[in-house]
Amino acid sequence: VRTRWGGLLIIPFMISAALLLGSQIVFLRQSFFVDLSFGRQSVDWGLANYARILSDPYYLRTLWLTTYISLAVAAACIGLGFPIAKVLARQRSRWTTFLLTTIVLTSFITTVIQIFGLIIIFRADGPVNSALLALGLIERPFALVGTPGGVIIGLVYASFGFGVMLMYGVVRTIPVTLDEAAAVHGATRLRTLTRVVLPLSLPGLIVGFLTIFNTSMGAFTSAALLGGGRVITLPVLIQRTMLLDVKYGMAGALAALLLLFVVVLNFASVAILRRFRSARLVTV
Amino acid sequence: MSAFADHRPASRGLAARALHAARRLRTPRVRLVTIVTVAYFVAIFTILLAPLVVVIGGSFSAPASEKVVMSYVQFPPERWTLEWYGKIPQAQLRALGVSFLLGAAVAAGACLLGVPAAVGLVRGRFAAKPVVSAVMRAPLQIPHVVAGIAFLQLFYAIGDFGGMYVQGTTLGLFIGHLFMATPFVIGSVAAVLQRCNPRLEEAAYVLGASEWRTFRRVTMPLIIPGVFTGALYAFIVSFVDVPVAIFLASPAATTFPVELFNAMEQDFNPSSLASASLAAGFAIVLVFMAQRLLGLDNLLKPRTK
Repeated sequence: VRTRWGGLLIIPFMISAALLLGSQIVFLRQSFFVDLSFGRQSVDWGLANYARILSDPYYLRTLWLTTYISLAVAAACIGLGFPIAKVLARQRSRWTTFLLTTIVLTSFITTVIQIFGLIIIFRADGPVNSALLALGLIERPFALVGTPGGVIIGLVYASFGFGVMLMYGVVRTIPVTLDEAAAVHGATRLRTLTRVVLPLSLPGLIVGFLTIFNTSMGAFTSAALLGGGRVITLPVLIQRTMLLDVKYGMAGALAALLLLFVVVLNFASVAILRRFRSARLVTV
Repeated sequence: MSAFADHRPASRGLAARALHAARRLRTPRVRLVTIVTVAYFVAIFTILLAPLVVVIGGSFSAPASEKVVMSYVQFPPERWTLEWYGKIPQAQLRALGVSFLLGAAVAAGACLLGVPAAVGLVRGRFAAKPVVSAVMRAPLQIPHVVAGIAFLQLFYAIGDFGGMYVQGTTLGLFIGHLFMATPFVIGSVAAVLQRCNPRLEEAAYVLGASEWRTFRRVTMPLIIPGVFTGALYAFIVSFVDVPVAIFLASPAATTFPVELFNAMEQDFNPSSLASASLAAGFAIVLVFMAQRLLGLDNLLKPRTK
C-alpha cells in the first residue's frame, strides 16, 4: 500500500528549517564582526571576538564560574532526586500519582515565581537564616542574592523536577523481577539497590547529569535574578552584552560558544546512551 | 508508604497481605527504613514547595507598614487581606492576558506544524528522514538565551533589509516561542504514533477511504492524547519563558514572566505576589486537570524523551 504520509512534512519542514537556519546563520555571521560603538560593526570579518573571549581573563573566569555552578547543580539534582525517583518508581501507593504530579507542577511554574519565594525565605531575618544562626551553623546570615551558592540553589529549583521525571522513567524501565530475583537469593535491600538498581540506572543517571548540566549552562532566569549583578554566568553575560552594551558581535560569539558547548555535550550523551544500549544494558 | 507494596506474596488474600505487611513493619530494621524514607520525602517536598507556599501565602498578608520592600513580606501572615489583588498594576494584568493568549496561539501553531510533521516522520518512508528529523528537533538543543539573541538579530536583519519590524511585537514573540515549542508536539505525537499499528491506517485506505479521511477518522483519534500533551507542553514553554521573551518583548508587548522579572529587578510591591499567585494557581489547576484527563504517563513523557 502506498500512502504519501511523507508529503505531510513538506510545509512544517520548510517553516522549521527557515526559522532554524534564519536565526542561527544571522547571529553566527554577526559574531565574526568586531563591535564599534553604538551597535555599529566593523567591515572586515575575522575571529577577533573569539580570540578575545579565549584570552581575556574576565571571559575565562565567567566560563569557569558557569561550568562550576552547573556541575554543582547537576550533582545536587541527581544526588537528591534519585532516592525520590527510585521510591516513586518502585513503591506503588495512593500518594505516588499525587507526588509525581506535584513534581511536574514545579516545572510548570515560571522560575521567577519560585525565586520570589526563595528570596523571602532566605531573607536575613527569615526562617532559614534564623534557624541556621540559632543552631550556630553560620555566623552571618546567608545571602541568597549575589553569591554563587544562591545561584546554585535557584538553578537546583529550576531543574530538580525535570531530573526526577527523567530518573523515574529510567528506573521504570528496569524490570521489577530483577529486584525480586536478588531478594529471593538473599540480597538485602541495600545490596539490591547498590548491585542491581544503581548499575542498571547508571546510563540514565549519566545522561540526566549531562542534560541538567547543559540546561544549567544555558539557564538565564535564576542566574540573572539571584546573581544580582555580582555573580555573572555566561547566559547573563550574553544578555548584558546584547541589551546593555549593545555589542551584537561579542554577544553572538559568546552565544556561539555556549551553543557549541551544549551541542557537543548532547552528542556525547547520545553516544553514551547508544553504547549502553548496544550492550543491552538499557531499554530506553 | 514504602513497606506495604513490595515483596507482596502473590495470589493471597487481602488479609494475608495485610498480616504480612504488619509483620514486616514490626521488625525494627524495616521500620527504620520506612521512617527514613518518609522523612526524606517530607523534607524534599517541603523544600520544593516552600517558595510557592510563601508566594501564595504572602499575597494574602497585610503589610506591617505602609512602605514595604520585598524582604518584609509577612509570612506567615499576621493579618489576612485581599487588598493586593485589587492593587495589581494594569501592566501586569495586561501581560497576564498577553501570556495567556500567546500560549494558546503557540499551542495551536505548534500543533498545526507538529502533528503533520510527527505523522510524516513516523509513517513516511524516504531517505532524508534522519536529516529532516534532526532539523525539526534541533530547537530542543539550543539554549533559550541563544534562541532569544538569535531571533532578535534575525528580526533586526529582516527589519534592515526588508523594512518589516517584528521585534517588540506579539508576532515576534509568537515566532520565537513557536520555534521552541514545536519539537514538544512532534515528540509527544511521535511517541504515541510509534505504538500504533500502521495496519489500521492501511486497512482504512485499502477499503476506499481517502487519505484525508483516513487521517481524520483513524490516525487522529489514535494520536489525540499525544496531541493534547504536546499542546499542553507548548503552552507551558511559552507561558513560563523568560530568556527568549526578554530579548523579543517591548513595553508594548510583554509577557507575564518578563513583566514579573522586571518588577523584581526594579520596583517590588507585594501586588506582584498577588499576580504571581494568580499565574501559579492557574498552573496548578492546569497540571492536575491534565493529570486527570491525559493520565500521568502521558504527562511525564515529553520531558523524559
